[in-house]
Amino acid sequence: MTETAGALREPWPDLRLQREGVGLGMWIFLASEVLFFGSLFCGYAVYRTFNVEAFRIAGAHTEIVYGSINTVLLLTSSLTMTIALRAATAELRNLTLYCLAATAALGAAFVLCKGLEYHEDLKQHLFPGLHFPLSPPATQMFWGFYWIMTGIHAVHLTGGIVVVLVVFTLFKRRVIPVQGSTMEGVAIYWHFVDSVWLVLYPLLYLAGRP
Amino acid sequence: MSQNETEDRQRSSALAWRLWKGPGLTWLALVALFAVSLGSAYLPLGAGNLALNLLIAIIMIGLLVIFLMDLKNAKTIIRVVAAAGLFWTIFMFALIFNDYLSRTY
Repeated sequence: MTETAGALREPWPDLRLQREGVGLGMWIFLASEVLFFGSLFCGYAVYRTFNVEAFRIAGAHTEIVYGSINTVLLLTSSLTMTIALRAATAELRNLTLYCLAATAALGAAFVLCKGLEYHEDLKQHLFPGLHFPLSPPATQMFWGFYWIMTGIHAVHLTGGIVVVLVVFTLFKRRVIPVQGSTMEGVAIYWHFVDSVWLVLYPLLYLAGRP
Repeated sequence: MSQNETEDRQRSSALAWRLWKGPGLTWLALVALFAVSLGSAYLPLGAGNLALNLLIAIIMIGLLVIFLMDLKNAKTIIRVVAAAGLFWTIFMFALIFNDYLSRTY
């Protein structure tokens, strides 16, 4: 049996259709995720509409350097993930593995940066509740959204890193061939997590700058 | 070096160029837009700052979805599913703001 034949699963007649099937399944899942994050964005929009000045004051206290570094890290990880997918489709096994490793490393760097940023935030007591240093009280709403949005995003990204590492190991040990449909689902999910961050960045990091 | 080896190398470098060219250009555009977004946040535009930053974010997501998630080559059914998520999100925003912005108390 050739490697390509090993990648083909029931009931698909060929790999192209199998990849499209995986892609469609992932897009359906992501459409529900869009609504999940969309509800958070909507909540942010409602509270900001009625507390513009408080959100501006609170937004000025987020760590823009960490946020900006993380944006570039995620954009670059999307590039390496795209190359990993294209290399897998072209059956370039080594390039697929290198790019998957780079993607996981960039994702891990993001999580590390986020951890350092959370440490800075907590040092300044920027967590809603007692001893919150900012006023008016509505600034706590902004920081509530900050922790929930970035926390849920970090959970999604960490899940993505784990999946990338598992897939990397399976490819490396030749348990599954790179040219199968696995990469299709992994890549689409990773890009989605990146695109959520592209909305969080202006809402949380740029909102209070001028 | 034999002629076959030279041809193999040329073929693989041509393939590498094909693989990297499109995504590489998209990445450059995304990083450039990120820089514009960050820079513009410090301009005194008032309410225009967030509007401009969100507009840039939408363009960036558009580039990412069309070129890196390859929606440009996707089948219609996948485009419909992707549009459905966006459609219902717009609906949610419209209905919720219809309530909040029309309250008189």
